Amino acid sequence: MILRRTLFSLPLLGFTSALADADAPPPLAPGASAPLAMVMNSGEATVSVINMTTREVIKTLPTYREPSHWVLTPDRSKLFICDASGNALFIVDPLTAQPLGHMTIADPYQLGYTPDQKYLVVNALRINHVDVYDGVTLKLVKRFSPGKMPSHLDFSPDSKWSFNSMQGSDTLVSFDLTDMTTRWSVKVGPTPAGVLWHNGKILVCIMGANGIIEVDPVNGEILRHVETGKGAHNIFITENKATIYVSNRIGGTLTALDPATLAVRRNYTIPGGPDDLGEAPDGKLWIALRFAEAVAVLDPVSGDFSKIDVGRSPHGIFLNTAMRKPGKLTAETL
Amino acid sequence: MFLDRFFSIIAGDIDQWLILPVLYHFGWMEWEELSFDWALICVYGMFAVIVTYAVCWPLEALFPVERWASRKAVGVDVLYTILNRVGVIPIVSFLLFYQLQVVFTGTLVDWGFVPPDLEMWIPALFGHPVITFLIYALILDFADYWRHRLSHTFRAWYALHALHHAQRQMSFWSDDRNHILDDLISFVWFFVIGLAIGIPPLQFPLLILLLRFIESLSHANIRLSFGWLGERLLVSPRFHRLHHALKGAGRKSCNYGGVFPYWDMMFGTADFSDLYLPTGDARAPEALATGGYLAQQWTGAKMFAGAMFKRG
Ligand SMILES: [Zn+2]
Ligand SMILES: [Zn+2]
Repeated sequence: MILRRTLFSLPLLGFTSALADADAPPPLAPGASAPLAMVMNSGEATVSVINMTTREVIKTLPTYREPSHWVLTPDRSKLFICDASGNALFIVDPLTAQPLGHMTIADPYQLGYTPDQKYLVVNALRINHVDVYDGVTLKLVKRFSPGKMPSHLDFSPDSKWSFNSMQGSDTLVSFDLTDMTTRWSVKVGPTPAGVLWHNGKILVCIMGANGIIEVDPVNGEILRHVETGKGAHNIFITENKATIYVSNRIGGTLTALDPATLAVRRNYTIPGGPDDLGEAPDGKLWIALRFAEAVAVLDPVSGDFSKIDVGRSPHGIFLNTAMRKPGKLTAETL
Repeated sequence: MFLDRFFSIIAGDIDQWLILPVLYHFGWMEWEELSFDWALICVYGMFAVIVTYAVCWPLEALFPVERWASRKAVGVDVLYTILNRVGVIPIVSFLLFYQLQVVFTGTLVDWGFVPPDLEMWIPALFGHPVITFLIYALILDFADYWRHRLSHTFRAWYALHALHHAQRQMSFWSDDRNHILDDLISFVWFFVIGLAIGIPPLQFPLLILLLRFIESLSHANIRLSFGWLGERLLVSPRFHRLHHALKGAGRKSCNYGGVFPYWDMMFGTADFSDLYLPTGDARAPEALATGGYLAQQWTGAKMFAGAMFKRG
């Protein structure tokens, strides 16, 4: 595998600089030198900042305890990084990775802005809360206690409904954000994790089983089951909506699905506990590997990948090249 | 750091290939975020035991305070060490700690109050993780000084702690020989402190290991003093041996400190005399000294009940 990669890149060596110039995406913003990947090392209380061009860790940002996931603020001026057991949101400049301070918030594990940016919904996994904050003032609007271990979430495109998986209760719960009520709560299977609104349906990863399920967002009815791999953990859709990826924690694989049919297109073997991922402008996938203490950079065409060492238990990953994409505010849209 | 990474990768492999498949098989996947921590605890615990053994065993062989005809009484201490460092007890207490913390944190948050970390009390600490860790170590060691000193003060509490003192063949294995109820009291003690200052950042398992190593070393059967200055910086085998001396059992003891001798110096309980005395507790039943694990636990429990209910 390594040999093949090396051979392929050899003829290009002489042109690397010229190619890089021609291929180089427009600069992110004045002052932003290189595209950066920020990796949340949940077992080490740090964020590794990687120069995506040289693939080197250029600096390490401290957090309190256990950084997990991230979200961009609606104006894209700030990246919020969750530190659940540190009870804090760390604020980072998404262009330069400059730390901009932090604020106290109860147990943020995973979070997302509603598409209309009116609310910031936070899953507090350890203390079993789903907290709805005002998107502008970040004042707590509503606190739900819907079940055990709220883990992932997504919204309907009209921002009316949120869908939150309860890892400890085996349920998917939907809230009506217009009147702050619980719409329904259904058993979906053992240890549900990643959630994605897709084609008017909800896709949920079932970590205690071997795939994802499709749920009717209106009434919570389970429509079908799609096998992806053991320990299906998180789910993403590419910006061009051409592929859905599912990371499988136990199987150590990444599954590519056809977004129209949900048919499995391909399985990539990526041992080391694949978790969150991001899509670089060149189409490569940057995947956090929890147990390998590394980020895998996967070429989805060839299936080859190389690794960049980061800290202990890398969890969430943010590629600031995603800032160029319109509409992108969540980790689930690559 | 190389070693750190090496151990984390081993722990990752254990989690990935051993623990997670078991959790998956039995439908316990809601623990998958925590199982990596369990693997880390076991790997570092194992490493701690190996390093302690590798360092202390030759030293005990070369410079012993006492030479024993039979090492039979040491065996049970080995069991205590394995149970406490590698085996079930750290994982059970980790889970218990986690669950209790969830309940308390959740309740506090419901009251509109976010529990603090030390870094919130002292914001200047943020971004200096090693200093933060050392301050946590100082605070926790200070708390441990008072826990230990109080356990010598109350009759019922000492009935439990006597198990630790009863060992006449004290060695580097003896640090973990404690009554399980005494361990439970320690657990609650540190849990309450943890609520006030937060859980220390656990990103320095090697530093935690070093502190534990000092505690093991301080029990070792080695004629070793750290010198005038060293003795006043860290607890040495000489320092802790005086605490375990026959006269150190019971109410009037000295050198209560676990890692740092500062608290003994501060509160007038330090004894720096250059003596290596026989250890043990002359009043403790023989079962506490030479009995098996269960005999020691049972005897300790009976003594505790006796002290609790037949006062005077
Ligand atoms: Zn004592
Ligand atoms: Zn001792």
